[in-house]
Amino acid sequence: MIVVVGLNHETAPVAVREALAFPKHELGRALERVKQEAGLGEAMILSTCNRVEVYGRSDKNPVRAVADFLARYHGRDPQETLKHLYLLEGEPAVRHAFRVAASLDSMVLGEPQILGQVKDAYQAAEQAGSLGSVLNGLRTRSIGAAKRVRSETAIGKNAVALSHVAVELATKIFGALHGRSVLLVGAGKMSELAARQMVRRGARASVLGGRTFEKAEQLAMSLGGRAAQFEALRSELGRADIVISGTGAPGVVVAREDVEAAQAARHGRPLFLIDIAVPRDIAEDAGKVKGVFLYDIDDLQQVATANLRERKKESAPAESIVEEEVREFLEWRRSLEVVPLVVELRKRADEIRRAELEKARRRLGPLTPEQESALDAATTAIVNKLLHAPTVRLKQLAGHGQIDHVGIVRRLFDL
Amino acid sequence: MGSRVYLLITLGFYAAGALHALRHAVFRRSTLTTLSLVATLLGFAFHTAALAQRWTEAGHFPAIGLRDGASFLAWAIVLVFLLVQVTTRLEAASLFAYPFVFGLVFIANLTPDSGRADPVLRSLYLPIHLLLAVFGYGAFFVAFTMGLLYLFQERELLTRSPRRFYYLFPSLERSDTIGGRSVLGGSGFLTLAILTGFLWNHSLHGVYWTGDPKEWAALVAWLIYMAILVARWRWGWGGRRAAWLAIAGFAVVVFTFGWATLVPAVSVASR
Repeated sequence: MIVVVGLNHETAPVAVREALAFPKHELGRALERVKQEAGLGEAMILSTCNRVEVYGRSDKNPVRAVADFLARYHGRDPQETLKHLYLLEGEPAVRHAFRVAASLDSMVLGEPQILGQVKDAYQAAEQAGSLGSVLNGLRTRSIGAAKRVRSETAIGKNAVALSHVAVELATKIFGALHGRSVLLVGAGKMSELAARQMVRRGARASVLGGRTFEKAEQLAMSLGGRAAQFEALRSELGRADIVISGTGAPGVVVAREDVEAAQAARHGRPLFLIDIAVPRDIAEDAGKVKGVFLYDIDDLQQVATANLRERKKESAPAESIVEEEVREFLEWRRSLEVVPLVVELRKRADEIRRAELEKARRRLGPLTPEQESALDAATTAIVNKLLHAPTVRLKQLAGHGQIDHVGIVRRLFDL
Repeated sequence: MGSRVYLLITLGFYAAGALHALRHAVFRRSTLTTLSLVATLLGFAFHTAALAQRWTEAGHFPAIGLRDGASFLAWAIVLVFLLVQVTTRLEAASLFAYPFVFGLVFIANLTPDSGRADPVLRSLYLPIHLLLAVFGYGAFFVAFTMGLLYLFQERELLTRSPRRFYYLFPSLERSDTIGGRSVLGGSGFLTLAILTGFLWNHSLHGVYWTGDPKEWAALVAWLIYMAILVARWRWGWGGRRAAWLAIAGFAVVVFTFGWATLVPAVSVASR
């Protein structure tokens, strides 16, 4: 039976998640302990900033033992810890594992990091030697399902982080950003982040600096661009396609007249102004100039919210993909339950075959090697052909959850 | 099977194509565009067969009269948009074109054949001249569509709260580029169409210019698009200005051509 015991951003506040997290270097030891203390045959630990989960395989019902282990390992009160945990076994546990990998259980729906974290967690468990065929099957299938969700739905498509939103908007206006000019007015963390992504897509950056010109020069250097004095604002604006402004200035830095002058030379081509400063740097009515797109921090937030809404819409098809994959995985698991029976059946048949072959040989006397191998091949073929259909059918039926045939087969063949 | 049957089958496929294009706009599933593309391709095959069949039935290139004219125009538009879709992988473009094409073929299915059998129409100038012209106008239609996409997406970006079009339509830059190329290509075709028209006139009447309204309409269109080309490549106009020009230019072309065709007393077709 597959079990998942853990907590996430919905069931536990950050303080509890921190307290129960497993640092990377402790994973090997923790996996060893949880296998021993909770009696797990296989184990995997997924520990990220939004979730701590133990995945396991056991013949008994170990969820309480795993929960106790989590509390004990981190020196926490078991009763208190239990309040934040979900204890899943069987089908719900499998479904949870698939949904986590597909980023359907993430705080930011569809965020791409979780798949990498899941892969790393399985990798660590493999290195610690705590992965067997069951969790390995879960690993392959759930990662495969996550990839399907990513390629067949738009759940990860639209940006939800503000710097990403700025870049996405820029590509909505300019298409590929190759050869476009980005002008940074003032150097803040977020403008740097957005500019860096644009530069990675082929844009050229320049940075305007005032009192702290040195800082501007450093930033320009790291972006592979150039720095200019603040007095050059107008001429720089005329050259820019995208402006990201984030100074700490109390008043307007870029006036409507500056934008109008820049736009006159562009003959109707668009200019994208991003104002991430509070109080704002760019005059509000600059956005009324034809061909100018002015977004302040609230506007970016609004786009992010709309994008998140889009992702939620995509979660329905994503859930149905996951459901499909979960069903296939469970069928595969159940079909494995008849494997011991099939092995026994074949063993019994082979014993009979050998015994009868021996008898025949005694009656026939010495045989040539050709005759010997022909006899062997013929009897083997009979056994295989006779058992082929029952083997396939047993696995199929078990896959659909029908295992009462097992008893009948045992009685029929006296196993 | 006669051309009527082929055209009816064509209509069915185009209906499926247009419907799936619209469903794509609503649900945004890329599998739907594949369906739409396949349906349109099948429709196009039957459409081509219908035209070929009709050509042998009529004995001249089938583009005279409302039925054949609408059918031929639709055929050319589908071809142009299939080319655009294949080369640019742009799905939004067909959103306007496929329903329009469906409308044209629908009209063609409802109207009777013109039944005209003029020896003049057997000239090889007719198909060459018409093909060039129709590809020219097809390209202008693409430019018009791109202008619309540009303005829709621009409006969407200005509202700062993205809705459907934001996710569906291409970037401004892309609409602008494809629109510009379409104007360039369309102008080339139109120039050649006008030249072959002159030659055809000369072979029929001994003069290059007869003063027919259609000739004036073609000249007006040519001048407009030359002006657009000059504005774009000499004065550096682009973006929203180019989008407006492409839309206005196409509107004037449709108007003058509609006038020249629908006034039967002065049209070539009725002379």
